[in-house]
Amino acid sequence: MMNKIENINKNLILRQMLYSDAMAYNKKFLAKPTDSNFNILKAFEGTEKVYAELELKVKSGECDTENCEFELASLAALQSAPKIFVEFMENLGGELSVTEEPNFDVVNNADYTIAQSMLTEKPGFSRSDGYEISLELLEDSSQEITFTGPGFYEPLIINSSTLKVLLNSGTFLIASTPDINKDMTRLLTEVGLFSPDMVNPETGELLETAKILDEFVLKNPDGTPIYEIVEIGNGKGRNILRYDLDKIERKTDPFINAEVAGLLDREQEAVASWNVYLAELTSVEEDDQMTQNATAYESAWQYEKVLPLSQSKKILFMDHYKKYFMKNYLVQFTTNQLPDVQEDAAVFDVAEKRKENAKKYMEQNKLS
Amino acid sequence: MPVPVAAVGAAVNLIGGLFGSGKARRAARRQRRLAKSLQKKLDHLERNRQSIINPYDNVTSLASMATDLSNTLSNPFANLSVATKAAEMKIEEADISLANTLDTLRATGAGAGGATALAQAALKAKQGVTASIEQQEKANEDRRAQGEAQLQQQVMSEKQRIQNISISEGAREQSAMAQGRAFEFNAREQREMQKLNRVAGQLDQATNNAAQASRDATSAITGAIGGMASSLSAGKSAGNLSDLF
Repeated sequence: MMNKIENINKNLILRQMLYSDAMAYNKKFLAKPTDSNFNILKAFEGTEKVYAELELKVKSGECDTENCEFELASLAALQSAPKIFVEFMENLGGELSVTEEPNFDVVNNADYTIAQSMLTEKPGFSRSDGYEISLELLEDSSQEITFTGPGFYEPLIINSSTLKVLLNSGTFLIASTPDINKDMTRLLTEVGLFSPDMVNPETGELLETAKILDEFVLKNPDGTPIYEIVEIGNGKGRNILRYDLDKIERKTDPFINAEVAGLLDREQEAVASWNVYLAELTSVEEDDQMTQNATAYESAWQYEKVLPLSQSKKILFMDHYKKYFMKNYLVQFTTNQLPDVQEDAAVFDVAEKRKENAKKYMEQNKLS
Repeated sequence: MPVPVAAVGAAVNLIGGLFGSGKARRAARRQRRLAKSLQKKLDHLERNRQSIINPYDNVTSLASMATDLSNTLSNPFANLSVATKAAEMKIEEADISLANTLDTLRATGAGAGGATALAQAALKAKQGVTASIEQQEKANEDRRAQGEAQLQQQVMSEKQRIQNISISEGAREQSAMAQGRAFEFNAREQREMQKLNRVAGQLDQATNNAAQASRDATSAITGAIGGMASSLSAGKSAGNLSDLF
């Protein structure tokens, strides 16, 4: 089994190379010829002759096998070969294209990234660089493609019928990473903390002016909000609202749980989400750099090892998903929120305010 | 043998087109998978949400708590007794007085006329006592009747009070049941509508995505075939096509 860290590093280097303009400045690369014609269709060379010979045998009744069984089967295989080839290339191309997605999980096998680079004629992955692709038409009508070259751990071999079966079963060869940012932005509008009029009907996202509903604001027994004083410098301060975080958690939990249940139903994508976003509980800004240098590394889950996901992994996933949501999406609505009452929102002198509060407390509690 | 330029172009067009349509087909597969997991999310949400409760289902009639106290009522004048002691004393006094008078008559040697007068006086005294008793008995009878009337009135009031409580509690219970059923109906209706809206939204989205992916796939493969055909027709004069296959 490939080494996880080595594979991550290989993928990171490949992605850096593919998205960098560095090759344009590589004089050695520019000087040598590049042959990117892997001539995959070479596998079909001579098949027209074989087909003609087989058909002649069948028509003339001069078959080598009883009732022309072999000849008829071979003819059928040759007839279906182009269709199988088209489908095979579609399936393979669709899968390998995942390696070019912006939030691609670099824990996926780096061999696929190389194969995609070869097929899409990226600089450095040509025949001139030692890479080869060969397609073989097998007797069972299936086709086998083999990628070789210096970047591979071992030749990458994929069979058309196996790939088809895999994809038809709803599994993917390479895991796509869900757009967690988009999902969580949507989830914010679904968790019951905001009124419907705070959602932009066109984008389905929260308006910039959106605020958490008043029922989640901590309040005094007389119904006035409990404020936290934040010093803003020069002895001045402002009131900011305090929220009942327990109540918020109780309200949001069922919705987050449902979201995670849906995501865990797509295990491959759940693992990709873990590796790219959730494992390290990084910030959104850090995640933007994830494919560069901030991937999960040690805490990343290797697909080959963790699937199917164990219960403990699912619980861990749920826990991190909630924390990530709170930390990166909800926190902006629960911190530094100014009061709705205009006079409470005004800037004040902190020392005076403290004195005033102390006096009020003493009066309320009949202390002197 | 060098590969003809047009043939290479055709092969590249074909592979590129296949990859493009493959990407679209993958997107469609992913959409289907996503729709399935969205359904799972919806199921989870519905399974784990609070069940619809009837907030009035524990409302019961409190009529049984009202006690009919009419059996504790009684006529306080039902058993009034006649004050006979005083009458008895009066009779005794009259008898003593009569005996003393008789002794005096004997001592003074009075005649029969005095005795007769004495007997009449005694009779009169006893008649007075009898009249007093009758008067008391009459007064008692009147008060007993009056008490009985009051008792009937009070029993009637108590029975009416209990009946009113029963009717009022029964009405409250029926009203609560009706409100509870209305609440359950509305809550269920609202949920059903929300569920329908969500599922409809998902279906629309999934259908649109699938249709778009299908169009993308068709467009990509059509483009590839078109590109290949034009490359090949251009290449007919340029080289040997069998080099391609």
